[in-house]
Amino acid sequence: MEARLADLVALAASRGATYADARSVEREHEAVNVKDGAVESVMRTSDRGVGFRVVHRGAWGFAATDRADDAALRGIIDDAFRRAEASASVQRRTVKLAPLAPQRGEYRSEVARDPFAVPLAERIDHLRAVDEAAAGPNVRTRRSSVAAYRTRKRLITSDGTDVSQEIVESGAGLSVLAVKAGAKPAQRYDSRLTRQAGWEWIEELDLPSRARRYRDDAEATLDAPLAEERPTTLVFAPEFLALLVHESCGHPTEADRLLEHEVAFAGTTFMWPQDRGRLRYGSPHVSMTADATVPHGMGTFGWDDDGVPAMRTKLVDKGIFVGYLTSRETAGALGVPIAIGSARAEGWQHFPIVRMVNVSLDPGSFTYRELLRGVDRGLLLDAPASYSLDDKRQNFHFSTQSARVIRGGEIEGYVRGVSFQSLTPDFWGRCDAVADDWELHGFLSCAKGEPLQLMRVGHGAAHARFRDVPIEVRE
Amino acid sequence: MKTAEATILRGEDAILTPLREALQDVAADEADIHVRRRRAAVTRYSHSSIHQNALSDETHVRVRAIVGKAVGVATTNSLEVADLRRALGDAASLARASRPDDEWPGVAEPAPIATPQAYDEATARVDAAEQARGIGAICEAVAKAGYRAAGTHAIEVTEDAVANTRGVAAYAPATVAYLRALVLSDAGSGYAEDLGWRVAALDPAGVADRAIAKCGLDRDRRQLPPGDYEAVFEELAVAEILRIVSLTGLGGQSVREGRSFMSGRIGEQVTGDRLTLSDDALDPRTLAIPFDDEGEPKQRVVLIERGVAKGPVHDRHSAKAMGTRSTGHAADESRYQPGGHAGNLTMAGGRATRDELIGAVGRGVLITRFHYTNTPDPRAATLTGTTRDGTFLIEDGRIAGALANVRYTMSALDLFAGIELLGAQRLARDWWSSNGMGSVVCLVPPMKVRRATITGSSPA
Repeated sequence: MEARLADLVALAASRGATYADARSVEREHEAVNVKDGAVESVMRTSDRGVGFRVVHRGAWGFAATDRADDAALRGIIDDAFRRAEASASVQRRTVKLAPLAPQRGEYRSEVARDPFAVPLAERIDHLRAVDEAAAGPNVRTRRSSVAAYRTRKRLITSDGTDVSQEIVESGAGLSVLAVKAGAKPAQRYDSRLTRQAGWEWIEELDLPSRARRYRDDAEATLDAPLAEERPTTLVFAPEFLALLVHESCGHPTEADRLLEHEVAFAGTTFMWPQDRGRLRYGSPHVSMTADATVPHGMGTFGWDDDGVPAMRTKLVDKGIFVGYLTSRETAGALGVPIAIGSARAEGWQHFPIVRMVNVSLDPGSFTYRELLRGVDRGLLLDAPASYSLDDKRQNFHFSTQSARVIRGGEIEGYVRGVSFQSLTPDFWGRCDAVADDWELHGFLSCAKGEPLQLMRVGHGAAHARFRDVPIEVRE
Repeated sequence: MKTAEATILRGEDAILTPLREALQDVAADEADIHVRRRRAAVTRYSHSSIHQNALSDETHVRVRAIVGKAVGVATTNSLEVADLRRALGDAASLARASRPDDEWPGVAEPAPIATPQAYDEATARVDAAEQARGIGAICEAVAKAGYRAAGTHAIEVTEDAVANTRGVAAYAPATVAYLRALVLSDAGSGYAEDLGWRVAALDPAGVADRAIAKCGLDRDRRQLPPGDYEAVFEELAVAEILRIVSLTGLGGQSVREGRSFMSGRIGEQVTGDRLTLSDDALDPRTLAIPFDDEGEPKQRVVLIERGVAKGPVHDRHSAKAMGTRSTGHAADESRYQPGGHAGNLTMAGGRATRDELIGAVGRGVLITRFHYTNTPDPRAATLTGTTRDGTFLIEDGRIAGALANVRYTMSALDLFAGIELLGAQRLARDWWSSNGMGSVVCLVPPMKVRRATITGSSPA
């Protein structure tokens, strides 16, 4: 299949396409899930196929197949041209790609121990130890998992690009549900523990210790009093802020939202081109960076699916909105040079669209202890539970799995029922300190596009402090 | 339907024959194979231009091999017998290296399965040019109104098949046709869509007219203070509420684990007596296929009857654990929680017209649809989300003006307890499901409720 990519691109050029690319993708995935001490599932998945894009008569056409025979591969050329011709029949803007020099090379993830080579028995034994650590008097359900992912892909374009990549990722999931008569069930979980790495990352996670912490959080939340409903100082753990960055900075800086490519489903943005360099997104403590080169990031690669090499760019600089995530198409439409390549497709069957890479809150200069010492009365929020955003990524609501009281700079007991809603610039404007304990999180399933594409993205964050945030408290 | 009717479908024999062959010599105590082939033609437009136009044809094959009571699962995207055998071998080796599942219920037994009804050849044959013509008609009408349009025209053809070592062999083709239009002005937006299993259900002119009319009303937006209001929820908004109810509370395992609003309350009044909710995959209007991923025939399940919780749906595993029979609701465990997925909901409707629903409101809100909802309290089936593309203030039974998008936060059970009027059913999918994320299809009425809790507003 891979050997035919150049033929597809050459045939497209001979039929008059002004641009064409062919991308083969092979994916493998293995996962083990343990529930309440028993193996719930062991799974090995794989798929492979070819996606083929053309720009013809100024419009895109795309077709993809998982069949490797000549007829199927010829078929996707015909289908892609037919769809481009149909696109051209309803078109007011022609596709203009930002220029890019031809790219050549290979990229491979750095892996110390191949996660696919770890014996299944070792993975199960590891999860059983995690499961035992999560047991508690009121713990009703314990779930844990480990997973390995490998993606091999090759991209050939009519602009002379020919790049190959092999990306390996390892991750874990953990969930503890505590139930007690007369109390509301409490759940503590994390499914964002994935990195571009081998089995060494699973060991570094120290899942048994994390399981004990989650058990303690869930047990304590069962009996915790309701929080006091009033504006308060909130300190967020990096795990929580990683999602806030994702939802309130990553998504609204996706340049395809400006062009209304996603308006009917994912929505638009409140960060428009005329706002660049002027819009106060947050306080001067808040800087955010998109970076496809972060070691072990889930948004790290050699080249994006346009063939743009990995880059980094500022999105928010000392509180001011300054940049976008772009593809060749969106950069071309906006008339800006490529500052970062973020055209990504979930698989061979998907059209690449603008996605996050690793989008992170830059670390600050405070230590975590210094940050806490500045809190007379407040709450530490460890991890998000429910989250909901409007179609401009401006009005949001988050609830928390675990909330602890901070009094006089010290962490005391737990409270429950905490959620908050805010407007993005107002929220980030309340940030008065970011700590230096930056850590990286990996998301597997950022949802966008039609048909839906679930994308891997990375987010780094440190503890950070926000003043006078109105909170809601619900039973 | 024994042979492929056309090149669009692979056909029953082409799919089931390699499954049977691969299962003949499987080195496991039992095994099953589920196939879903999906051909999706998705044309997207914005600024009244088509900007993406994609056709993908993919086949997902999931095999399960059971050794003793240990289960191994493998997938491939090939229907070649050699590849299926390799996947079965992988699954068997995973099972042998795994541990027994003491609650393993066994693979499905052969049982009568209803005839598939949701496939339309004319829909399967819709080509890119026809999709573009539908979009072109919308863009032309919208341009005449002085607005711009964005949206999607999608045609899906699916073929589902299940075979196992006990002799189950089931096959069902299906089609889905979908057309949506978001009409935008500089002041606001309006939204409309059509959905069905026949392309004949799509009416580009009607979709354009409805969205244009809403967009025309959406100007000079005001902010609504937080509080409790009377409300009219249109069909898409009701579907959003039902999605949360389904994903948090209608699966057998969520009931068993104490996570569902039904946990410990089956047989009790959980909401108002105007809510009757079923899962009915035997009604072709719900885009259903008549068996699940395990090959179990789907049953019609009454979930809530006149406000009384009647019980959840089950897959084989949750059914065995709870001492009952599968209702035929096993779903892809990579997308849904195990234990049964209620994805073909029908909510009993009424006879109220749209004008009657609005006319019954003294002061309240009309909600067209939601964006990005979630559930801060799953056990209470609480939903929070912002409205979009048509949120209006109703005063004295008439639309009195446009509102900035509002945030709604409330338990679905409390909301349904306040149903006062119901309109006629219409096929609808919530915001997430419209894009395939945790899909729930609803045959659902619009409703007028006594109380909806608004907890915030976006800027005007």
